[in-house]
Amino acid sequence: MECVVQGIIETQHVEALEILLQGLCGVQKERLRIHELCLKSGPNLGAVPSELRILCDLEQPEPSWTVRHVGGSMRGAGAEQISVLVRPMVESKASKNVLRFFYVLGYKLDHELLRVGFAFHFQRGVQITVTVSSVNKMLKLHATDEALPVTPGMQLVEVTAPATSENYTEVVAAVTSFCEHLAPLLHLSKPGISTGVVPTAAAAAASLMSDGGGTTL
Amino acid sequence: MPFSYGSRQSISRSFLGEFRPSLFLAEAMPLKWVLQWQPNPGTTVNSQILAEVSQCVEGINGVKEGRWKATLTYYKPILRDQAMSPEMPRDFIGMSLPEQPNKYYFTLRSHRIVVESDVSVQNIMEKLQSYKSRVALIFEGFQYQLGDFQLRVGKVVPSHSENLRGIVMEVEYLPISSLEKSRQIMEEFIDIWQEALSKRSLPGHFIHVEPNFSEYGLSDHYTSQHTAVQYATVMAQLIASAQAVSTVRN
Repeated sequence: MECVVQGIIETQHVEALEILLQGLCGVQKERLRIHELCLKSGPNLGAVPSELRILCDLEQPEPSWTVRHVGGSMRGAGAEQISVLVRPMVESKASKNVLRFFYVLGYKLDHELLRVGFAFHFQRGVQITVTVSSVNKMLKLHATDEALPVTPGMQLVEVTAPATSENYTEVVAAVTSFCEHLAPLLHLSKPGISTGVVPTAAAAAASLMSDGGGTTL
Repeated sequence: MPFSYGSRQSISRSFLGEFRPSLFLAEAMPLKWVLQWQPNPGTTVNSQILAEVSQCVEGINGVKEGRWKATLTYYKPILRDQAMSPEMPRDFIGMSLPEQPNKYYFTLRSHRIVVESDVSVQNIMEKLQSYKSRVALIFEGFQYQLGDFQLRVGKVVPSHSENLRGIVMEVEYLPISSLEKSRQIMEEFIDIWQEALSKRSLPGHFIHVEPNFSEYGLSDHYTSQHTAVQYATVMAQLIASAQAVSTVRN
């Protein structure tokens, strides 16, 4: 399973966010360019309708492929009290013909996206990944070179951390605590609950840009 | 005498000689041929044949090294409306191979597809609830070292019974990863092996049906995906011979 929160930031403040993340994480950013294909089961296939994502990492010298399945999020009073979404997630690397394979099995392409941006992978008690990316749609099938942003001027920030049913409370705490450091620039919440941009973003960004992230926000 | 692939004498020297680990490069995967037992018309496979085959490997100085096991699962689609049966693949196989314990292989023979993935993909398949296991088969037996060759002889049984469905044999040639470069030496080895086995007058023989790997997008350089494709081919042959036997009986 994984713990996840999301937020949005104006593209003009992304550079400031990068400086802040660089200071907080202490690792180099990695460039991100991922072609994401969302597949859904055909009309008669499966006990229930199902959905999976096929990700192609275009940053690698040889594009690498991953199959990802995300399950329904944790529910109940306990889940509502925490500000982080906890959900089952399984990933598997796969060879490059995996898309054709799922088509033959009866899955259909629902939509596709291109995420372009950067990511930080670091250890903060638990393994955390922060991705900052613009989400692009393709006007023609698989035409990643002609992709256009879905929300121009706005980028998606996602903080994720792998967890297990034994340690998720610890992971949730680590993610929550990390997100507090980003609060002046953006607010992170459970996916699907958009809280918009934060009013302090411009001032916080200006401060970060002026001293290269040296100031504690 | 310099080593060459050209004569029977050379191959005899190779597989009866000392194993030379220096020839086996860690990053290169040795190639293998997967053979299956083809019973003579009117006969079926039985455990006595398996025992004799194993004895025959030891008879040509094969050194028993340990056990091996591979598992193979046939998947079938879960359809909400059985009457509405679209064209779903009937030859969808998932396989785990002892040579790659962290990987899982899918084959769709009719579409010439082989996919390599992590073992966690089985978890994804379970969660999708779109396909389920129809039958699981186990290939298991002993591994033998014979000079530069590694042989694995095993029975094919359903996962929850001891009902023998077939016999397979893997012939692995450790120094080479190229299918073409090894073809002659493999053919010569199989000739010698068939000759040794023929002395036992068993009711059948081993056959090797080589798939057209390029149709699956695989190159001459051997990988575990080639092994998965060979097992899918062996299964198709086993099913075809079982159907032939039942047709004769009926």
